[in-house]
Amino acid sequence: MKPAHKHPLSPVLRLYRINAGSCNGCDVELAVTASVSRFDVGSLGCSYTENPADAHVVLITGPLTARVREKVLRCYAEVPEPKITILVGICPISGGVFRDSYAVSGPVDRYLPVDVNVPGCPPRPQAILAGIAEAAALWRAGRGMAPASPEAVTSAPQDPGVTGTTGVRGRIRFNAAACVGCRMCEHVCAGGAIRFCEEDAGLRFTLWHNSCAFCGLCSHYCPTKALTATGEWQMAHRQEEKYRLVEQGVIPLVPCTGCGDPMLPVAAELLRIGYRGVSRETDRLKTLCTECRQKQSIGGLRR
Amino acid sequence: MSTKTITFGPSQLALEEPMYFRVETEGEIVVGLDVLAGQVHRGMEHLVMKRNLYQNITLLERLCSLCSNSHPSTFCTAVEEVAGIIIPARAEYLRAIADEIKRISSHLFNCAVIAHITGRGPIFKQAMEVREIMQDTKEAIYGNRMDLAANCIGGVRYDLTPESAGFLSKQMERMKTPLDALLRIYATDPAIRERSEGVGVLSRRNAVDCAVVGPVARASGIDYDVRKKSPYGAYDRLSFTTSVEQSGDVRARIMVRLREAREAVSIIGQCLADMPAGPAWADTLPEIPAGEAIAKSEAPRGELIYYLITDGTDMPVRLKWRVPSYMNWDALKVMVRGERIADIPLIVNSIDPCISCTDR
Amino acid sequence: MIEVLENIAAELNRWTGQEVAVTWRLDRKGVATGWCRLREAACILPAAQAVASMEGRLSMVTAYLPEVAKRTGAREIAYHFDLDGTTLTISIQLPPEGAQVPSLTTIFRNADWNEREFMELYDIQVTGHPDPRRLFLDESIEPAAFERLIPYSTFSNGASSTALWERVIADNARKEAP
Repeated sequence: MKPAHKHPLSPVLRLYRINAGSCNGCDVELAVTASVSRFDVGSLGCSYTENPADAHVVLITGPLTARVREKVLRCYAEVPEPKITILVGICPISGGVFRDSYAVSGPVDRYLPVDVNVPGCPPRPQAILAGIAEAAALWRAGRGMAPASPEAVTSAPQDPGVTGTTGVRGRIRFNAAACVGCRMCEHVCAGGAIRFCEEDAGLRFTLWHNSCAFCGLCSHYCPTKALTATGEWQMAHRQEEKYRLVEQGVIPLVPCTGCGDPMLPVAAELLRIGYRGVSRETDRLKTLCTECRQKQSIGGLRR
Repeated sequence: MSTKTITFGPSQLALEEPMYFRVETEGEIVVGLDVLAGQVHRGMEHLVMKRNLYQNITLLERLCSLCSNSHPSTFCTAVEEVAGIIIPARAEYLRAIADEIKRISSHLFNCAVIAHITGRGPIFKQAMEVREIMQDTKEAIYGNRMDLAANCIGGVRYDLTPESAGFLSKQMERMKTPLDALLRIYATDPAIRERSEGVGVLSRRNAVDCAVVGPVARASGIDYDVRKKSPYGAYDRLSFTTSVEQSGDVRARIMVRLREAREAVSIIGQCLADMPAGPAWADTLPEIPAGEAIAKSEAPRGELIYYLITDGTDMPVRLKWRVPSYMNWDALKVMVRGERIADIPLIVNSIDPCISCTDR
Repeated sequence: MIEVLENIAAELNRWTGQEVAVTWRLDRKGVATGWCRLREAACILPAAQAVASMEGRLSMVTAYLPEVAKRTGAREIAYHFDLDGTTLTISIQLPPEGAQVPSLTTIFRNADWNEREFMELYDIQVTGHPDPRRLFLDESIEPAAFERLIPYSTFSNGASSTALWERVIADNARKEAP
């Protein structure tokens, strides 16, 4: 492994980390990038410094508690311009699971300009390195330097892929065809990352990855497995993309075959869970809205 | 006598959490210490009462990333106690595996940081590299290197197939020799010995007065481990020794943690060998009636206690927990008295402080 | 085990001078939790002495203000003690206004932080506390923070979520617009 100062990306880019009240997850992973050879920031031509006056890149973790806000802003101000700012983990980006607490001041971009976001809770070291590489590219571009050649930027060590395991818990995927609109996912989401909106065309599902803790409670409690975690962990992005990092889908409304009123269709998955077998009768009943179904099966509306 | 404020963090990379101390000194010797907490106070005690029991599983896991699994597992145990849910036997063993895996990773991180503070860079790197075996294991089995998302109300959200159990077994086998080597190194390395023997002593009498728990208590001769005193989950069927030392100094605390990490490897082996068949969780959406319960567990830093009051809805009426690090801050005052200022970072890290746990 | 539990109850009676009814629960692993309520709040001091005489330890203190307190006129503090693996919870009731409770620091040194903590969250005065300073709450946050059981959106800053989601919805609607 090349020492940082001999790296083709030189001069050496110095990193300064500020803990803004984090749970220490992201910070432990940052410590890993300073000590474990396969994730060492030296391979990106970077090194950590504890002297803000020396730094080029600031990494911030934590939701910015009321208590540390002033100190964090003071530390930040000690890093000279031009500097690139990276937010590590969802806490500084959106407040994460702590958003809306009386003790939390964030998100961080309310107080200072941000360049790169690395979502995750915590993100794996490979994702953090990708964010740092992005910051390095921004810094080089800002100084009119040529972009680094592809070989100069480290590639993440190949995932060994252990048989019988599900692998990294990454980006959540939504399958609108399997969704029944029960909103259990929204109910169990600690990060407030899921919203349903009723629109004319149907029910829109939105999951904002910058508020997602990637915990998988939503997919665990989803009755029809409309939500699944993929292995996609590479989600570092520029600040401009912050609000567009979403997973969306619309369950289109269908007209009731009885009265024509728009209704949410019953997903085939729900029938598979509910019934041992789907008869023609069930298949027909599922195309009726609740009122029509009641009229058909019990002869009238239930009060 | 003079007073100065010493800051830990927010920017020292190896000392990853912010904490402030006001130290009174006479020359180079410490005569008094005040702890100024709250940097990581996120208002979690209030947040949990504004979230439902399901959201709290994920929220509580993020109290602290190093003890992370202990919080949801103890919380779920309290809910299960209120609801009279008996989790499947397989879930008990799977919870124990998750807890012991976290114990090893947490202890190794602490020992690594201690080496860094004593200026033994190569040992710091060695401990961090050994720890990576655990990190890879967690990522493969749970999907994340720090927050396992292993628990749910009624059991666990993950399971082991014959392949993943085989992988886990091999990873644990790979840990044995390196852990034994680290035990030898920390016990014999002259620089570490010089800085840690007789330093930051907490006598047994003071340890009892300060009501400390976990490795700090066991290093001062108090043989108290929740897994033995108040067995929970699979621990009433697992065979293991608790690590106790008598000297109560920094060295004793290092030794207790390394031996516990080594013991945890064999506990995981037992769990794999004895793993009963069956489901990993009982009933996805159980009914939680009104009631109250206490649940305890032995987190990496010691006894963790949860108190839950419910009213039949899925929002808690009151949820309170006390982390093991809580009592250590006061014990620190005793440990640093009469020591040199230069030794404060080492003594502080020897209690394996968890600021995010304490501040909440 | 039953003898041990009976002994604990007997000691409580002896020190407080009252008949304290303790309900014991044994879980499936044989771990016991005990639950009792004292008639007068000041009795927590002799009750703590009883625990100390049995070499018990103060494990945690939970102060709370149940919704019903406005009606029943009582807030509560639950003191959780450890007696060699058995957890004994002793609850006391206090009035919603002007609540006072004696400090346990003369008996249990670690009562110090526990009491400082609930003093900054609730409107409870701990008499005789050696160091009643704030512990975790920033100076900018008003005292007795948990006292104000106001709707979620005012106490906790729900404004943050609303503002962020407005951006998320707007930015992605623009993305889809022709």
